[in-house]
Amino acid sequence: MKHQIEINNVTFQYPGAENNVLDNASLTIDEGEFVAIIGGNGSGKSTLCKLINGLIPHYYVGDFEGEVTVNGINTLESKVASLSEHVGYVYQDFENQLVSPKVIEDACFAPLHYGYTDYLDRATEALKKVGLYDVKDAFIWQLSGGQKHLLALASILSLSPSIIIMDEPIAQLDPTHAKDIYKILKELHAEGTTIIVIEHHTEFIASFADQVVLMDKGSVVWKKKVKEAFLDVELLMKHQIYPPQVTQAAFYLKKSEINLAGQQPSQQKKEFLPITLTESQYFFQKHQLDSTNLDFPIRKKEREKVVQFSDVSFGYKTLTREKMQILDGIDLTIYKGDHIALVGNNGAGKSTLMRLVTGLIKPDSGSIIVNGKNISKTPPEHLAEKVTYIYQNPEQMFIDDSVEKDVSFYMKSRKVPGYKNIVNQILKQFDLVDLQERDSRLLSGGQQRRASLAIGMGMDPELMLLDEPTANLDIGTRKHITSLLGNLKDQLDAVMIATHDMQLACSFANRIIVMHEGAIIHDGDRDSVFQNQALLTRAGLESPQILNLAQMLGMKDIYTVDQFVDAYLKKEAKDGVYA
Amino acid sequence: MEFTRKFTDKLSVEQVKIELLNTAYGNGHTFLAQLDPRTLFIWYTFFGIVPWFIHQESILIGMFIFMVITTITAKVSPLIIFILCLGLLGQGGYMLIVAMFFGGDWSILLPLLVLTLKLSVISLASISVFCSMTPEKLSNGLLKIGVPGQVSFSIAYGYRMLPTLIEEYHHVFQSFRLRGKAPNKHGFLYIRSIIYFGKIAVLSFYPLLLSTSKRARTTVEALETKGSFYGFNHPQVKKLKLIDMKFGRKDIYFLIGSCFYVILLFTI
Repeated sequence: MKHQIEINNVTFQYPGAENNVLDNASLTIDEGEFVAIIGGNGSGKSTLCKLINGLIPHYYVGDFEGEVTVNGINTLESKVASLSEHVGYVYQDFENQLVSPKVIEDACFAPLHYGYTDYLDRATEALKKVGLYDVKDAFIWQLSGGQKHLLALASILSLSPSIIIMDEPIAQLDPTHAKDIYKILKELHAEGTTIIVIEHHTEFIASFADQVVLMDKGSVVWKKKVKEAFLDVELLMKHQIYPPQVTQAAFYLKKSEINLAGQQPSQQKKEFLPITLTESQYFFQKHQLDSTNLDFPIRKKEREKVVQFSDVSFGYKTLTREKMQILDGIDLTIYKGDHIALVGNNGAGKSTLMRLVTGLIKPDSGSIIVNGKNISKTPPEHLAEKVTYIYQNPEQMFIDDSVEKDVSFYMKSRKVPGYKNIVNQILKQFDLVDLQERDSRLLSGGQQRRASLAIGMGMDPELMLLDEPTANLDIGTRKHITSLLGNLKDQLDAVMIATHDMQLACSFANRIIVMHEGAIIHDGDRDSVFQNQALLTRAGLESPQILNLAQMLGMKDIYTVDQFVDAYLKKEAKDGVYA
Repeated sequence: MEFTRKFTDKLSVEQVKIELLNTAYGNGHTFLAQLDPRTLFIWYTFFGIVPWFIHQESILIGMFIFMVITTITAKVSPLIIFILCLGLLGQGGYMLIVAMFFGGDWSILLPLLVLTLKLSVISLASISVFCSMTPEKLSNGLLKIGVPGQVSFSIAYGYRMLPTLIEEYHHVFQSFRLRGKAPNKHGFLYIRSIIYFGKIAVLSFYPLLLSTSKRARTTVEALETKGSFYGFNHPQVKKLKLIDMKFGRKDIYFLIGSCFYVILLFTI
């Protein structure tokens, strides 16, 4: 049988680069497959995908060897434009992919420029598929991030390509919107389209994809069925890829059982690790375990106030000159020692709440007091001496031409004595010593994130506000950033993180605030949030998978894989039973 | 002080963005907006060039009145009008001062007023025409009269990028504020604050340029994959794009009406 996509021994080097970004890569993909490509940052995933629509070698003029055929067409002998009718590509920075001001015009753009007379019907159908037909006359700057992403997808669907590639489809989405986009991909897949995603979220891969491709250093390590792919836990972890939490838990337990009992576990279990929650039912025993004791700081009442919001409202004028209310009647006090996770859907008002504390925007009504100063009467430059805000997009923080200059900018403009030593210390803390001469904009995602954190620390704040610090990162880098954030706790009076990453929220925060439609609907901790199903549903949140598993098995107070494994083993050791 | 605060409140970055976008895309329902772009081009060619060669005040005043009417019907944003007035006054004012300085007397006032009148007619004509066309319409109009696809597309795309660029600039500007040190005192006539803000306003352009050039990479690739290059080189695509563009009755009435008015002005 002829494969739909054949990549044969491709080696590619970007002009001016030292190493091959693809090194003898070979891969075949058949029609109708749903393939997830995994691998660490810089392993060549995006480059591999750009081979498929011919951007490489036609657009990137580098050293190219090997052969790629798509639907029987040799990409070397074809043009990007003609390949694009077979292959649709949604970029990671999809916003730059939208070229027209209106939704319907952008959806029409491709079929119109290929000269299809039925371009309007094609665009309409594509918009209906992704659920954007209702906003077809909107301007793209009126859309939310999630909607822009769907539009980028619709704009390639209008050519009805037989292959769709999406580069990190859900990196910036909350769990509900992330599921929505995967459901759309699933429908397209059911219609026979080949889907290729570059994805870090193994839980989504386990639920939606059927093939997994592992890449490392520009080569394809293997392509396996999704079930088999995640069995190889040790190899994956070596590549900084973390299988779904249930798989990790099962893997550790299996390993520990061997150590505990000194014998092989039963045959039936040997070749099996669950990859989804549903499968886990058959693997784990139902347990009624005692609550484990966690050394979790309990909030005390009388503590120093850092920030106080009283009845704060904020809105802005939209394009149609109507007022859009973002925050409504917010009352909130942040105390010394608070490590807050601010959670909620896209558009719930999390970023606005944090930006208000910086003084860059002022509330319409109500007051915000930061260290005894009313922010409405204090310029942001003065507030910046107490409060640091780390942007969601690190690039917006880079105002100088090297990492080192960016980190020292604040201290230099304030003529802090001996700032060079402090800068060096910070660079060391965030592993940036080797990168300090580089332009921050040209670093990889994880490096940029570290640089933005270092810039924040360079401002010696008492309160740090972070907007989505783990978005757009592969899981290995994400763990690194999470541990860096953990270290910050002691250096700062209080930290607030806006995040969709519930694993981060569980491991980091001693206080979780849930926002929904511009209001705070819950202010508690991980127990009060994740035990409350109604709250989770209303705010569109998803508990970490391991927590769901623990709840399914009747275990309490489990938030991480380690806790789960410990609790499970303790019980088994006590009862002395094996399934 | 109170006045400047109120003024700066109104003139937030958000507000400027809204005004710009409304100027570009918001006036789709006015009379001029319903005309064919070619009609507007023809009309503009006349009112944008001819006033330079006319010296009779009565004709210029007549044209000026006509332009004021078209500007009102085009529902041009007050911000644009304000900027225009500021420009015209500044222009006239500085010429007056220079003339006085080099030994002129008040007799130059009249020719200066005539010049300002000419400039006003031309500027108002431009504003009425360009505020009445969305960038898309302008771009299609240009395509129709034979301008290459790449050029006409760039105009439309430039506008589409405008809000993004303003937002990005704003972010960088804010980053400068969050990390910089504002002067402790405003200084005489706010001079220190003005210098501080002026400096970061200029500095903010550099990071903007760098990040924009990075974004442009994706856009150029996306354009390629969306077949724009194919489209620019195939006449049938152009035909498909411009299929809806037709001269209508309104166009003819508008052009004939304008002609009559001008003839009337010349005969009085």
